[in-house]
Order: sequence, then C-alpha cells, then structure tokens
Amino acid sequence: MPDTHMPTESSSPILHTRAAYLGFDRPVLGPLTLDVPIGSRWALTGPNGIGKSLLLKALTGQARVHRGHLELAPQARISLLAQDHPRRQPWPLSGHDWFRAMGAQPPEQARVRALMDRRLDRLSGGQWQLLRLAAALASHAVHPPAQRLVLLDEPANHLDAEVRHDAIELITSLPGGTTLLMTSHDDDFLEAAGVERHPLTEYIHAG
Amino acid sequence: MLGDLLLMPFVAGLLITGVLGLAGAGLFLRGSVWQALALGQWAAVGGVLASVLHWPVLLVALVLGTGMMALLQRSTDRERLPLGVFLAGLAAVTLLAANFSQASLAAAAWAEGQLYFAGPNELWAVAVLAVASILLAPGLYRVWRHAQLAPDVPATRLPPTWQRLTEIGWLVAAVVLGSMVLGLPAALATLLLPAWGAAYLARNLRGLFLWTQAIALAGFLIAWSLSLPLNQPFAPVLVLVNVALASGARLAASVYGERNR
Repeated sequence: MPDTHMPTESSSPILHTRAAYLGFDRPVLGPLTLDVPIGSRWALTGPNGIGKSLLLKALTGQARVHRGHLELAPQARISLLAQDHPRRQPWPLSGHDWFRAMGAQPPEQARVRALMDRRLDRLSGGQWQLLRLAAALASHAVHPPAQRLVLLDEPANHLDAEVRHDAIELITSLPGGTTLLMTSHDDDFLEAAGVERHPLTEYIHAG
Repeated sequence: MLGDLLLMPFVAGLLITGVLGLAGAGLFLRGSVWQALALGQWAAVGGVLASVLHWPVLLVALVLGTGMMALLQRSTDRERLPLGVFLAGLAAVTLLAANFSQASLAAAAWAEGQLYFAGPNELWAVAVLAVASILLAPGLYRVWRHAQLAPDVPATRLPPTWQRLTEIGWLVAAVVLGSMVLGLPAALATLLLPAWGAAYLARNLRGLFLWTQAIALAGFLIAWSLSLPLNQPFAPVLVLVNVALASGARLAASVYGERNR
C-alpha cells in the first residue's frame, strides 16, 4: 500500500516522492524519488513515454500510486493544464464561462482579455491553448503563492507565433513563491520561461 | 382557444416543456444524449408494465428509470451501452404489447402522448417538479459547468456527491414525467432538439439556457396551435416542429456566421 501521509513541517518540499511506482491499471513508472522545493520552477524533461505526464496525473489523482510514497504538502493547491483538451463542436462556452468554471480571475493581458467574450469552439488552436494556460496559471490566485502548485503538461503545444510570447509572459509573471512543475520538449520555450530543466531519468532508480 | 377542459393540459404541457428544456441543455453539456434515449424508453417500459400489473404508473416508471440510470452511471461507455439499454427497452415494450391487451393500449398512449388528457394529478406533479427545478437550478448549473473542464484540473472543488446525485435524480424525474405527459417521442424531441439548435445560436452558457428555453417553448406553442385545429395527435406534431426549429436555428447560425466572417 502506498504511504499517503503528508509532510507537515514548513520547510518540507511541496512534493516529495520516495521509491514511488506510478501507473493506471499497473505501475509503469518507478521507482521515482524526488523532492520539489516550494517556490521552484521546474521543467521535467526526457523522451516521449518516459512518464512525465503520468507524474502530473498522479499528482491530480488521475493516475495511481501503486507502491512507495508520493506526498504533497497538506496546504498544496493544485491546478493542471492537461496536455490536450479537445473541444466539442458545437460548444457554446465563452472565455468568461471557462474562467468561472476554473475558479480563476482573468489576467490583465490584452490578448487574453480579447478572448473572453468569444466562444471557445471558435478560437484558433493557439488562442484556446493561451486561454487554458491563463486560467490554469490564475487558479488559486487568492491563496498564498507558497501553497500553489501549478502543473503544466506541454504548455507550448499548439502555440503559434502570435500567442507564444504572451504564454511566456504569463508564465514568467507568476508570483514569486508559486511552485511551477511543467513538461515540455520545446527547449527555446523553456529557456524563455526561465525554468530549471530536470531530466526525469535522473530521479528514477535513485531510491 | 383554451376552454376549461384544455387549460390544465396546456399549463401542464408548458411547465414540463420548460423543465425538459433545462434538462436538455444539461444533457447537451454532459454529452449524455444516448442516456436520455435509454432513460425515456425505460420510463415507457415502466408505464406499460404498470398498466399490466395495475400499479401506479408514475411510481413504476420512476423506479425503472432510476434503475436504468444507476446502471448507465456505473459505466464510462456513453454510446453503445445506452443504445443497447434503449433497444432492450424497446423490445420489452413490444413484447408486453404483444402479450397483454392493456399493455398494447398503454404503449400506444406512451408513443402518441396523452397531453390532452392530463388531469390534476399530472398538473400537480409537473408543478412540483417545475418549482424544484427553479430551486435546484444553481446546483445543476454548477455540476454541468464543472463537467466541461476535464482533463484540466481547476481550482474549484468537484461538486459534492449529494449535488451530483440530486442532478441525476432530477433528470430521471424530468424524463419520466415528460414522457408520461407529452409522450416519449415528444419528450425526447424537447430534450434533444432545442438544446442542439441553441448550441449554434448561443454566445455563452447563459445564452445556451435562454435559447433552449425559447426554442422549446416556441415549439410547444406552435405544436399546440397546429395539432388542435388540425385534429392531429400532439406528440408527432411537436416532434416535427422541434426538428424544423432546431434545423432553422442551425441554418440561421451558419448564415449569420458566414456574413460576419
């Protein structure tokens, strides 16, 4: 049985895993041992299929911890931008509806504001990705930054040249103290976003 | 147009149309249209079975409808299982009608609709459901809005279990009572078509609910005005009117979209 006890000391990392085996029906990633400090900006890197997205899903309860420990700080408030979000046709939701559903306030950024009254099924792929990213980054903004854990799974996907700069600006303007854990294959994007690169393979078998 | 005899059916029909319109918008947002089909068919099985057993129609229809909805909720299959359940219900009604004369009459009543014969019992049941719908609307809205987010994970909490169960119970009551009052095809047409047409016209979620109500109520009023003077059964007329309105809404949205491109 996985240990689900959570660390309680204030100096604890926001995420601590030790010899954790993760998967859906059966374990496919592990043993994984890593600590993510509060306030850090990490990008998990590595080849496709290694389990980067799986780790994010395990943190949001969409995948299972089969063995070992995966512990989140008790005060952690998680939001996740999933790798892909196919839109139904027709889908009569506006940008305002989306932010309301995500429990987030729209940022001041002009390009995001311009999307708020538009229907989600009529946005370009890049605009849709920008809007989702903005909502995920603005989630839990009412809580202290040290409690926020923002998970972004391949946020650079679908971003065209028009909105790429806006996406980077949103990420870099996250309040200090907020923990960011993302996955991406886009080195230029990671460079511009100013995040630390951590190859996931370095944390497998480490326990 | 409304004599004393027809006032009660008219009010009952208008109220249940509003409830079904709301339920239809919710089903559209949940992507559960096949579930509505299966649920409505099993409500009809309940009604036909009740006529054979001489049991209360509403009670038996509600019990069977709830049982089927509970079964469908346990599966992630949103298409084939509901379709299989629907076909099983169709077969059950056909077999009952073939073997019991009273079942044959009841099956015809569920197919054609008995709106003109709606009495105080139906009116009371529909009125209670309409009031409950108004009271439950904020919670229903929250459940449906949250259902749009997956696979993204929001800051908002998942609606509590009691709220999600209430939504399912309310949907069952709406479909069962709607099928009983309007007839199964008319209830399904009111559930599925106005929301579908509205989804092309609306600019946001609020617009979806308003347009759905507008199309559903217009469909009811037009069908009522046509079927009575032409001496036609209400349910098939309502189905055709709703098909025309929903298709017209889609066409209008596409013409408007082209003009503004």
